[in-house]
Amino acid sequence: MFSKILVANRGEVAIRIIRACKEMGISTVAVHSTADRESLHVALADESVCIGGPLPSESYLDAGRIISAALITKAEAIHPGYGFLAENARFAALCKKHGIEFIGPGADVIALMGDKDLARRAMKKAGVPVIPGTGVLGSADEAKKAAEELGYPVVIKARGGGGGKGIRVVSSPDAMEQAFHTASREAQEAFGDGAVYLEKRIYPARHVEVQILADETGNTVSLFERECSIQKNNQKLVEETPSPAVSPRLRAKLIDAAVRAARAAGYLNAGTVEFLLDKDGNFYFMEMNTRLQVEHGVTEQVTGMDIVKWQIRIAAGVPLDVKQKDIRLDGHSIECRINAGGVGKVSFLHVPGGPRVRFDSALWTGCAVPPFYDALLGKLIVHAATREEAIRKMQAALCELVIDGVPNNIDDQIAILSDPRFKKGDYDTSFFA
Amino acid sequence: MGLELFFRKPKNELEKGGRGRPRNAEMEYELTVACPACGYETPQSALIENLHVCRCGHCFRMSARERLMYLTDRGTFTELWGDMESEDILGFPGYPDKLESMRITSREKEAVICGTARIGGCACALFIMEPYFMMGSMGTVVGEKITRLFEYATERELPVLGVTVSGGARMQEGTLSLMQMAKTSGAVKRHSDRGLLYIVLLTDPTTGGVTASFAMQGDIILAEPGATVCFTGARIIEQTVRKKLPPNFQKAETMLQHGFIDMIVPRAEQWRVISKLLMMHRRKEAQG
Repeated sequence: MFSKILVANRGEVAIRIIRACKEMGISTVAVHSTADRESLHVALADESVCIGGPLPSESYLDAGRIISAALITKAEAIHPGYGFLAENARFAALCKKHGIEFIGPGADVIALMGDKDLARRAMKKAGVPVIPGTGVLGSADEAKKAAEELGYPVVIKARGGGGGKGIRVVSSPDAMEQAFHTASREAQEAFGDGAVYLEKRIYPARHVEVQILADETGNTVSLFERECSIQKNNQKLVEETPSPAVSPRLRAKLIDAAVRAARAAGYLNAGTVEFLLDKDGNFYFMEMNTRLQVEHGVTEQVTGMDIVKWQIRIAAGVPLDVKQKDIRLDGHSIECRINAGGVGKVSFLHVPGGPRVRFDSALWTGCAVPPFYDALLGKLIVHAATREEAIRKMQAALCELVIDGVPNNIDDQIAILSDPRFKKGDYDTSFFA
Repeated sequence: MGLELFFRKPKNELEKGGRGRPRNAEMEYELTVACPACGYETPQSALIENLHVCRCGHCFRMSARERLMYLTDRGTFTELWGDMESEDILGFPGYPDKLESMRITSREKEAVICGTARIGGCACALFIMEPYFMMGSMGTVVGEKITRLFEYATERELPVLGVTVSGGARMQEGTLSLMQMAKTSGAVKRHSDRGLLYIVLLTDPTTGGVTASFAMQGDIILAEPGATVCFTGARIIEQTVRKKLPPNFQKAETMLQHGFIDMIVPRAEQWRVISKLLMMHRRKEAQG
């Protein structure tokens, strides 16, 4: 096992990783920007290195500085968390080059899944259903022809895409020309690659993803699905598992497709295969996230498996101690993302407690929320025997959570949980439409 | 704040199983530097050994002290006026802080180092500008040190070698910076009138008021491959004339074609070429 790990992230995910390391007896190195000097992740780690200014580009996105910090502190592995450099193939390759284990899949797999066109083709070849669509398109006319065959509405997507950039919904042939050019230009600006392709638009649909763990021996297991359809501006707000829309039969099919997708990519470590599920129960591969997901906590609650610890063990070459048939889905778990609506300083913090209530956060009374980073303040996670009980528990926990001094979305979350559509489990990505 | 003082450290034993340090970690690893011209990543130690030149020939920026190491004979350099420091004469906002941070990061007191040394056995006076101190910009102290060096060399009949790298006159010192152009040029002229040799080596970038004064007044003007040598930067010219500029615009190679400089010398050749030039121009009385 590694004796020292550098955590190349900040906020709640850095703390989540440090906590796992503490349990495993592994020393930790935190890296931080000048704005995060007094952060909880720095205080909890055994060592810390300041790697630059407050802007992510000056610190958490600077691969060279992070590698330097790992070399100076003699860290044996780097856990990238999520966001920042977590899905950067170059960073993963750089770690390897410097004799540091990157806790995640290999650089080649990250690169494959980062190229949406290549990933689609690989999945199609492996027999995983993909959204009907095209390869990379050369011109707007070509796109028009392809769209006629697929049937409107269609979505133009960027090959190098992510974060909603270079995506355009086109409902009629008249709008194609302009949408094609703006999407291509936006993709060129955001990713340095203007190549775009078409997909049939599946809307409304449910966003369902499947958690995967794969070890060096080739044992690839799925930790079931997560339902993430409650989204605003492409940002997930509430996640739950199991999905109210997935029957045991559909679950078996989803797991089979996700495991096949992971095997086809030669996947190692933890990853997530995202699917769109339409109202007729058809599902399509969307993308594979080659990292820890923000919402991994709900899966941990219902399976009893610590995903972060397993990421570290798999990176160290420890084989999984379970087969697919041993993994049980126990009860129901819901997560609410508590986001900041602005900057501020926490003047009073009260965290709810009680059985099976978990709050993953980097907040402490007196801490400042700087403007430079993601708005996530914390993740409130509950676990209960049934979905109904889990909703009740979450309602109670949300009402008990107090974060004074920083504008936040606790009230919005209470409203979502009280929405009849949510209570019935009858919702999709058009929830806020 | 000392938040860490609140927490105790758990004493869990290290989990067993798996590998520790990755298999290939016994090797010595070190940082690499990516070349902006060809993208090749050279290990830092190899780059230092190769005088900060990539295998494609791209010359990375180099500090003044590092240049001293390869340009002069070992142990012969004596620094002059090393304690002179700039002051914020005009009360320019943020200048004192800028100076302080530059002193810390560059470990130099000013943007030029002056002194005497031997190159291939020939005594000379030399100044080397420091790119890591406000991009070698010329303020009153830089101007004064260079003027003093030429006066010192004139008095002792020494040739002068100058290595330039500069963003031009230092804007934080306003007109006082611009005045240095005339002052240094005067000193160069008096040195020249005594029939003494002045060799200048232009490195990337040599621009603005430095180009417009002592950088282009050498008897022999050498340049590093690919160095930008100009008065006004290409971006400003492009914005003003609203035309795309030709490739290699303001590069040393173009300057050579148009007769502004005499020779382009790769870093590895510089000591040999300069010592040869100094040897050829050695004055009779100094030879004995």
